[in-house]
Amino acid sequence: MSYFVVLTLTGVAAGMIYSALALALVLIWRATRVVNFSQGAMAMTTTYIALAVIQATGNYWFGFIAALAAGLVMGAVAERAIVRWVEKGPPLNAVIVTLGLLLVLEAVVPMIGGAQIRAFPAPFSIAATAVGSTFIALSPFNIFTIAVVLLVMVALLVLFRFTSLGLRMRAAAFAPEIARLLGVRVGRLLTFGWSLATMAGALAGLLVAPTLLLYPNNMDAVLVYGFTAAVLGGLDSPVGALVGGLSIGLALSYIGGYFGGDLETAGVLVILIAILMIWPKGLFVHAAERRV
Amino acid sequence: MLEVEDLSVAYGGVAALDGVSLRIPNNGITAVLGPNGAGKSTLLRTIAGLVRPRAGRVLYRDRLLTGMSPEAIVRAGVSLVPEGGGIIRELTVEENLRLAHLWRRDPADLRKALDEVMALFPPLAARRHLPAHSLSGGERQMLAVGRALMSRAELLLLDEPSLGLAPKLVSLIMRTVRDLRATRGVSVLLVEQNARSALSIADEALLLSSGRAVAWRRAGELVHEEELWHAYLGY
Repeated sequence: MSYFVVLTLTGVAAGMIYSALALALVLIWRATRVVNFSQGAMAMTTTYIALAVIQATGNYWFGFIAALAAGLVMGAVAERAIVRWVEKGPPLNAVIVTLGLLLVLEAVVPMIGGAQIRAFPAPFSIAATAVGSTFIALSPFNIFTIAVVLLVMVALLVLFRFTSLGLRMRAAAFAPEIARLLGVRVGRLLTFGWSLATMAGALAGLLVAPTLLLYPNNMDAVLVYGFTAAVLGGLDSPVGALVGGLSIGLALSYIGGYFGGDLETAGVLVILIAILMIWPKGLFVHAAERRV
Repeated sequence: MLEVEDLSVAYGGVAALDGVSLRIPNNGITAVLGPNGAGKSTLLRTIAGLVRPRAGRVLYRDRLLTGMSPEAIVRAGVSLVPEGGGIIRELTVEENLRLAHLWRRDPADLRKALDEVMALFPPLAARRHLPAHSLSGGERQMLAVGRALMSRAELLLLDEPSLGLAPKLVSLIMRTVRDLRATRGVSVLLVEQNARSALSIADEALLLSSGRAVAWRRAGELVHEEELWHAYLGY
């Protein structure tokens, strides 16, 4: 298999994980116009919970479900208990609060779960698959990663486009005051938006841990790539998050493969700056300006 | 039906409403008139729960609205159509309409209400799957009023429904409001800069100036009070 194809496939698999984290950031931005810098730390926390459950039960899937459930709860608690109090203030306050939450989580989780680097299990093999005599660059776990992120994206698309809950969530995001005048309980929907987002983040944490290993700041780089992906996609569009995540995954893979791993991060930053100079609002912004 | 008692509102220390009282009878149309900055919109927004009053209270069918959230006030049967219509531009015409009925959780009645609004405003039926930002000014007002009807509100609070519309559309909107009172038994609190068109359909009118109520008259009488007219309505 040609080197280019190998790099492309591994780039897509990694890009899916960045997409999941970008999706989390986008959902929160849409709902509350806050960039949640603690998204990575929250995902790290839910992955620690998953590891504890896996070790206690001996079953990967119990841990998988526990992490997603913990994400739902953690998102709701963060929005209700912390973000709601600073939302009305200057936008910078909320950003600082999410940075604070990042520091708190990265300090508290190792106190409980230990600071050492841990292996995290994968439900499928992470070795490349052999089909006959040729190897495919994608491992079964890569294929699982791509499938599960796509599944989440499609589920969200159906939720937003075709259900009345999704209609209410869109209305609450586009025009919260008008939505309230139409009887939409905007406050609850914002909490639900944080829940969904943190669950998407938890998924990213689960998918990245088998290759990246688990330690208190294992998500820091993923957060940067996910945030870059979200900005590329316009911060406002779930489809943009997917395209942004894939672009970053591919760019990292090509740069690492052809120019050496040291240049990966710098190369991505160069691409980000170049794209934002051409399309300052990202690739997927709506023609009409929101929040008029 | 609606009683406003001694309502005072201040924005950052500046009084916007100062001890305003008002009583709307069942099935009545009441106009709120006055110059720019008189506090007309503030009055509607306070009744709808968007603004917290500093003093005073609002009762609707003997139920205290003051302190309730906007979404709870809609559920009680009071619907505000804000200035400019407040349509959600990114959603389609039909989505805007459906949204107003969702809290009732009654899909059968939702379809019925949709059909009623489409029959009342045929231009909306033709554009039901288009995004609301593609509508003309008159169609937006139709959508805004139609949306208030979707919620099956019994009291409509209309903020400047004729703003920026051509005279022909203004009289269409006014006629629609009058017909709604007759056919659906709704009551209306109508804020207007366009005093003459408002008085053409209102039973009573409250005249506001600088946040105070300066006159409370039957609509037919106010038309003939030249002094008030010149002092507050300008022409």
